[in-house]
Amino acid sequence: MADTKILALCGKGGVGKTSVSALMVKLLSERNDRKILAIDADPAVGLATSLGITVKKTVDDIRKGLITKIQKGESQGNRETLKLLDYELFDALHECEGFALLAIGRPEDEGCFCRVNNLLKDIIGDLAGKFDIVLIDGEAGIEQINRRVMKTVDHLVLLSDTSAKGLNVANSIAHVARDNKAVGYTDMGLILNRVMGGHEVEDIRTRTDLDIYGWIGEDETIRDFDFKGTPLTGIPDTSPTLAVIARVLTKMGVLP
Amino acid sequence: MELFTHNIDTLRAFVYAASPRRTWIEDLKYQWPTGGGKNIVLKEDMGLELGSPEKESVSCLLWTENLSSIADGRITLVGPDFPECMGKNLPFGKVVLVGVEGFDEDNAYDRHKDMDFLRYEIDLKGFMMRAVSQYMREWCRISRDALSQGFSARTLGSSLIRLFRGRPYVKAVEVIFFTSSTHDVSRIKEITAPAEKIIAAMNKMAGEMDFECGSCDYQDVCNEADGLKGMRDRLMEKTKRALHG
Repeated sequence: MADTKILALCGKGGVGKTSVSALMVKLLSERNDRKILAIDADPAVGLATSLGITVKKTVDDIRKGLITKIQKGESQGNRETLKLLDYELFDALHECEGFALLAIGRPEDEGCFCRVNNLLKDIIGDLAGKFDIVLIDGEAGIEQINRRVMKTVDHLVLLSDTSAKGLNVANSIAHVARDNKAVGYTDMGLILNRVMGGHEVEDIRTRTDLDIYGWIGEDETIRDFDFKGTPLTGIPDTSPTLAVIARVLTKMGVLP
Repeated sequence: MELFTHNIDTLRAFVYAASPRRTWIEDLKYQWPTGGGKNIVLKEDMGLELGSPEKESVSCLLWTENLSSIADGRITLVGPDFPECMGKNLPFGKVVLVGVEGFDEDNAYDRHKDMDFLRYEIDLKGFMMRAVSQYMREWCRISRDALSQGFSARTLGSSLIRLFRGRPYVKAVEVIFFTSSTHDVSRIKEITAPAEKIIAAMNKMAGEMDFECGSCDYQDVCNEADGLKGMRDRLMEKTKRALHG
């Protein structure tokens, strides 16, 4: 996976992770001729919805199918199982113009199926390695990304609004990533969302040691799209939010 | 050791009667460029899809020690060739017939598995393959670029044959492809179904320590295939030795 760039977005629920992820996918797929994989690690498959996709099969569906096979004694060795998962995973891939999407689905049920989870993680890693850029829209915590999707990413992008709670969650995630090594990363930074002005950004700088990749103002167009349930891929190119996200992606080296 | 003689005979009879049918000898001179391990063909780049989950698909590997029954290096295609099918999603069948030597009850299962996994080593630019042994399905995609540069059944067949020749116990290889119709691929599935049962029985024997034949789903298959009975007896001996020293 040496030449695949992996971005993961994390942050408190409701700060706009999925909207920012969807706009990143839009930019990456429209302004690149590289192969883009979007991984929706949100159990509610919010990224898929924001991109206008109806998910037919999730990784969790595949996982459940395999567990049923194992319980019935129909499973074979690891090599055969990996190939089966590879086939099923490719079948679960939703292919769109400019990108493909893989939905992880609901978290594991109770009970330990470590073998299945590890095989799935291996095969997701293998599939991801065939793409040029992978973007993961995660849940609030990064432990879930480590456990269910990938151990290492290139850019860990934390997202927060200007609320103290949002920033606290971002700082906590940064701590877990940095000190507890919950997930490997090359660089980590913060995107601030729904900012009222530069003074808020300056204030937040005093309360975090995270590199601020960029900040997005309150955006009525996005609010309107969300309200109507319109896919965010339709956001006009003149959107100031898109311009901020484009600058962030360029800074990361994934957009020209 | 023989397990698939009857399947090979039935398959041959079907292929000889099928049309349109073309044959080539493997291309020894030209090697298609490799994909550098990044062989993914997405719909937007795709020129041809074969054996997708919505279409009929079958993939089977049959081996025999009767080398005279294998036309070494021959590639047969029943149906249109890949470059003639730009933009299509077709049913797909693939059978690899291998002439082998030195197969016995001890090594047949491992060698079968070894050969079965060779297909995953195919690394051809613009070609993607996903396969599940348990379902005997193979799902391939060929990019528009590869098709326009002439990627054909002969290209794929030659690469497969080259891979098999790398195994010291392989003495002859022949490949048969089907792109003709759902009916033909379904028929191949029927013809190779007994082989699938034999392979499933081998998997069960190798994966389990239980030799209670009276309650086994594959009892009928083992009773019909002498080679399988021999494998089972040898595995029972080995298990007993391991348990009792």
